[in-house]
Amino acid sequence: MRFTSGRNWKIDHGMRITDALKIINGSPKDAKPFEVTLACGFTPLHLQTFLAAHLQQALPDRRVSISTGLYGDLAGTIEGLREGVGNNLAIAVEWADLDPRLGYRSSVVWDRKTLQDIVSSVPRALGRLASSIRAVPTGTVVLATPTLPFPPLFHTPSWMMSDPEIVLNKAVAEFAAEMAAHGIAIVNSTTLTEVSAHAARYDLKSDLIFGLPYSLDHADKLALCLSRLLSPPVPKKAIITDLDDTLWSGIVGEIGPEKIRWDLNGHEGIHALYQSLLASLAEHGILVGVASKNDPKVVEQAFERPDLLLRKEHVFPMEVHWNAKSSSVERILHVWNVFADAVVFVDDSPTELAEVAAAHPEIECILYPGKDYAAGLQMLARLRDLCGKQRLSAEDSLRVDSIRQTARFQEAAGEANLESFLKETKAMVRFDFSGSKEDLRALELVNKTNQFNLNGARYTESDWTSELLRADTRLMVTSYEDKFGQLGKIAVILGHLENSTLSISTWVMSCRAFSRRIEYQCLKTCFERYGVNEIDFDFLPTPKNGPIQEFLTQVLGEAPANNAKLTRERFERVCPALYHSVGEFADVRS
Amino acid sequence: MDDVQKRLVKCFENVFPALPAEEIPISTVQNNSAWDSVAAITLVNVIEDEFGFQMDFDRLAELNSFDRILSYVKTELQS
Repeated sequence: MRFTSGRNWKIDHGMRITDALKIINGSPKDAKPFEVTLACGFTPLHLQTFLAAHLQQALPDRRVSISTGLYGDLAGTIEGLREGVGNNLAIAVEWADLDPRLGYRSSVVWDRKTLQDIVSSVPRALGRLASSIRAVPTGTVVLATPTLPFPPLFHTPSWMMSDPEIVLNKAVAEFAAEMAAHGIAIVNSTTLTEVSAHAARYDLKSDLIFGLPYSLDHADKLALCLSRLLSPPVPKKAIITDLDDTLWSGIVGEIGPEKIRWDLNGHEGIHALYQSLLASLAEHGILVGVASKNDPKVVEQAFERPDLLLRKEHVFPMEVHWNAKSSSVERILHVWNVFADAVVFVDDSPTELAEVAAAHPEIECILYPGKDYAAGLQMLARLRDLCGKQRLSAEDSLRVDSIRQTARFQEAAGEANLESFLKETKAMVRFDFSGSKEDLRALELVNKTNQFNLNGARYTESDWTSELLRADTRLMVTSYEDKFGQLGKIAVILGHLENSTLSISTWVMSCRAFSRRIEYQCLKTCFERYGVNEIDFDFLPTPKNGPIQEFLTQVLGEAPANNAKLTRERFERVCPALYHSVGEFADVRS
Repeated sequence: MDDVQKRLVKCFENVFPALPAEEIPISTVQNNSAWDSVAAITLVNVIEDEFGFQMDFDRLAELNSFDRILSYVKTELQS
């Protein structure tokens, strides 16, 4: 088995036009549509083809369709979006959209007066564009700022930035910042340059003859970036790291905690970068655990060193002993209650990686590349890409603490009488019925929860918005805390109310919240809040949703079927004693 | 059907997925309603991708049938 420092999505993808068409032609015709509006001022043909193909690859169970607007009418395409649905809008702005004289198809004299006029017109065009984008009714908007080079219209040679170029780039940067503040995801121009070299982006012949400015390769790469913003890959939840010659340089058991290094002077700075990255990921809610063959006392001393950038508070749990690493990984997964496919394992030893990969084939194993600096940089970027999130939520900063609290909770629960223990936990459950489209933590929870998940359904942001816009939709978001600490928002129920029945189409609960009877409190609240006598569950078994199957079997008295029904009378008969205090946030849909 | 013709048929299949296989060799701009200007550009790109040469855009207007494109491709491959 061979491990690398991480395959790079940026170079793994290079799609041929023929393959793109095959992917599009092979899309499932009867699947739920995933509709995207592509707004650009040029003929969108190639960008449209590659965007459809990349999205189709990312969403194989959907039927992707891309609609475009009129040639040259960027703002008109944006303004034509419908109210009342979750729109997916991809915008590719080029300089010619901001002033046609900045395109190659415009026959104009590039004199000083024209340049002055262009410099003053571009900010106005950006202002109009910003207004159009801000007025987009609802949904997901992603944006690429100009990717093509200017024509050679400035007085400076190409290696020197001219004043007008600086002013125009500044105007676009300010526009992008304003759009990002408005919640719009922007294509990272630096990353785009990595995958699509500036010099190979523009196809003059194709632009002048057909109005297609992008080279095929550039259309492919820009489409790839846009597709990853519209349909982001699910981030990994956790990293398990080795210590010796990985988190630090040296074998701590041999040289002692005081001699392990990660400093620049010892030429070990790459370990400091790795520590910094792990600390940053931990702060952003990625779980970090340690699997190391070592003496636990020595490792404890090493983690006392004040110059260690990854603090011991960032790490939980630590499996430090001499047993097989696969068994350490097994225990860490158990404590975290996550599946191996959500985890990355980093080690400098190919043997250890192979041993872990054999026992946990779904885990992503990455070789720590030692003194290979280029591979080290690639590994750091790869870890950030695997774990990066589009947005952070308040729960992200609670995650590692809540895992610790859960461990303490379970330890205490195991030692006590269950009923008296639950009574004494001072549990507080709060429900938010506001159905806010802005609360993306609910969507995040739905899309990352596997075990207590009614049917495994995942939503794009626009799907979620469309659901929330339905008049009969009821959304219940549950938060929890007890004397062990806060868990934050841990459960989501999305249902549709019709007469005296609530049909639940999505129900997820974080595995951190198990064993507290929160699921019973959720159903009790649904019956009471919505005044229903029956709850229908759109249940589907998945390879991972055993915990919710078990729960439904308990409350229904039989294994759940699709459209399983639970009456209020039956629920009240089987519901155990609940000791939570219950609080509510405002309900905008009574 | 020779190898070049088979490969060209595949190109047409990708660009015109709704066109029945038996109609591809007799396809023309006139009898194939999906063969519009946009499809023509895609067809050019797919043929370039498949056969590895750049097509002469000035001759696109005359390349308005499967037969004519086949002749053109064969000529280009021989030159």
